[in-house]
Amino acid sequence: MRNHLISCLAGIALLAALPFLLSQGLLNAAIQMLIAALFASAYNLLCGQAGMLSFGHAAYFGVGAFATVHAMNAVGGAGLLPTPLVPLAGAVGGLVFGGIAGWFATQRSGTYFAMITLAIAELVHSLAPHLKGVFGGEAGLSTMRMPAWGYDFGSTTQVYYLTLAWVLLSMALLYLYTRTPLGRLTLGLRENSHRLRFLGYNVHGVGTVVFALSAMFSGVAGGLQVISNESANYVVFDPALSAAAVLNTYIGGVQVFLGPALGAALMTFFGYAVSDLTRSWLLYQGILFVLVMMFMPTGLSGLIGLASRLREQHGLGRMMPAVLMAVAAAGAASAAAVFVIELLQRLFSQEYRAMLAPDKPWPPVELFGHLWQAPGAATWAVPVLLFGAAGLLAWRCRRQLAGLAAGEEARATQAAVAPQVQDTKEPA
Amino acid sequence: MEQIFFSLLNGVIYGLVLFMVSAGLTLIFGMMGVLNFAHASFYMLGAYFAYTLQEAIGFWPAVIASPLLVGLIGVGVERYFLRRVHRHGHAHELLLTFGLSFIIAESIKLFFGNYPVDYRVPPSLDFSAFSIGITQYPFYRLLMGGIAIAMFIAIYLMLTRTRIGIVVRSAIHRPSMAEALGHNVPLVFMGVFGAGAALAGLAGAVAGAFYTTNPNMALELGVMVFVVVVVGGLGSLAGAMLASLLIGIITSLAVAVDHSLADLLALVGAGDWAYAMGGLMTLKLSSLAATLPFALMLLILLVRPGGLMGEKG
Repeated sequence: MRNHLISCLAGIALLAALPFLLSQGLLNAAIQMLIAALFASAYNLLCGQAGMLSFGHAAYFGVGAFATVHAMNAVGGAGLLPTPLVPLAGAVGGLVFGGIAGWFATQRSGTYFAMITLAIAELVHSLAPHLKGVFGGEAGLSTMRMPAWGYDFGSTTQVYYLTLAWVLLSMALLYLYTRTPLGRLTLGLRENSHRLRFLGYNVHGVGTVVFALSAMFSGVAGGLQVISNESANYVVFDPALSAAAVLNTYIGGVQVFLGPALGAALMTFFGYAVSDLTRSWLLYQGILFVLVMMFMPTGLSGLIGLASRLREQHGLGRMMPAVLMAVAAAGAASAAAVFVIELLQRLFSQEYRAMLAPDKPWPPVELFGHLWQAPGAATWAVPVLLFGAAGLLAWRCRRQLAGLAAGEEARATQAAVAPQVQDTKEPA
Repeated sequence: MEQIFFSLLNGVIYGLVLFMVSAGLTLIFGMMGVLNFAHASFYMLGAYFAYTLQEAIGFWPAVIASPLLVGLIGVGVERYFLRRVHRHGHAHELLLTFGLSFIIAESIKLFFGNYPVDYRVPPSLDFSAFSIGITQYPFYRLLMGGIAIAMFIAIYLMLTRTRIGIVVRSAIHRPSMAEALGHNVPLVFMGVFGAGAALAGLAGAVAGAFYTTNPNMALELGVMVFVVVVVGGLGSLAGAMLASLLIGIITSLAVAVDHSLADLLALVGAGDWAYAMGGLMTLKLSSLAATLPFALMLLILLVRPGGLMGEKG
């Protein structure tokens, strides 16, 4: 517990120090990461803790965003609330809309619930561009951050601190929520709603409240997005945003409170970092998601838990070779996958297709500062060798882990057998 | 008058295309309890495969070959992906197919680019079937409708009249009992999943030539297909047919209606108030065409949660 507290405080201190360490561009990326982390955590309240899979959470994010825009533009542009408090409008918007939508959606569970949330999101998404008064049509609405409380919110740094404060506050509230009786009931909703009903709880009521709370925090995230962008447009209702919430949350891992936030922050960061380098970032994200779903349902945060368990069982020194091998295997496999995808992307791109002539050999492709011959065996040997190396390393790692487990078992049986030997001696 | 007739016919044919995709989805759901998010991606794959193959082997062979390829992919997805995560429950399977649909869409963008490809009706089929007044009606639309109806009859006969159909239906209703009687239920699951994917692929190969073939087609149609399946009742083939036609006709007729809710209220004398309200009130029905199916779906889910023809509510 104390360790957790210390690492949390260290994390917060690091986040607070970021404006002194990062450039403006990176600080903007950090703001986006914080917003995505809050959105994923809000989503996780619904899907991870209450077990209700929503495919349309962008609707609540978007409603929060538009509520914030209107609050900022209200009273002739002076704003309904001072700028630091304006995400409250997003929270109220998300809460109200989430309450209504949640009342409908939680009538049903499982697949039907997923379909209703999808339908509500699509309903809003298809309606929004037509309602010019509320959503500003295709162009969207823009606004201005008004000075308040002695700050002018003109610099990225001030916006960053405002976002950080709201995200930390919301995350703290979300965490405290899990410690309340209602938070425990939320888990019960996931585990066995029949039993909950049998115990006399109003399951539909609990479901609606959880849905509305999740929508409220999504609305805060939407509001923070508006403060950072000073505009909102119906694209916030896009299914891609809902999809991103699902992918990020599960990649991060739904079983740990900070897992979704971690996943969202990582994915947003990579999305920002590689957006200039590759056009296929969404493909990598999709592949990562499918791999997580198939091989490690606990997500990336589950890996951390696994590592710490191994350390407790075997000690740092003895688990290190296995961990290093696993990391190397993952690295080699990713390198191979990236190589193949990027090479294919360049081979099938329009620019390359235009260079092809029917009777000439294929021109070489530039990738990672080297010219590759597309049909050449040497080119394709690179990913094959990398994949082979990854497979070999993974196999060695498994054997190492099996060896560790066997060693542990042998010691355990030795310890169990030793007293037995004494026992048998006694009667003699 | 003729405009209404044409919109009606267009709606029916769009509905039949929707049915071709939703038939497989609803069968798979009825049997495995998995709502396959990647199903519309199979539709897209069908269109892209047919587009790629038709240059090499001609239109008709491509229309036959591409569903087979898509069916093989479907079998692979069931065997190597879904079966692995089956023990984690349905939500996990839904998420996995969601991820797969993402990968398929992004791979299509990788190979074919993020823009529509030039997949069109071959000239030999591009003529008008009949004309009323000055408006001509393309033959190809009728062909699509005919293929869909033929498919419906074929599936229906296969499910009700053949031995395979009996085994499949028993696997849908009582999987463990069918297994106890010595039928290979996992094989049946794999077969139905592959067949459903192939049907979606066929729909894509046929309809992709008429509508646009682009990387977003799966998403656009996919949401509509979910609506169809939920409205019709998950697992019901006849329900899927009914709901497809209903949604096809509603969307197609709505586009032609230039009135708003306020116009309707004006009939009872509340017009001025409604016009002053603006917003939803003055929105023309034609611009709501894309929204109506979702509203219908919400209504059905609340009034009759099992769907129009659903039994397993």
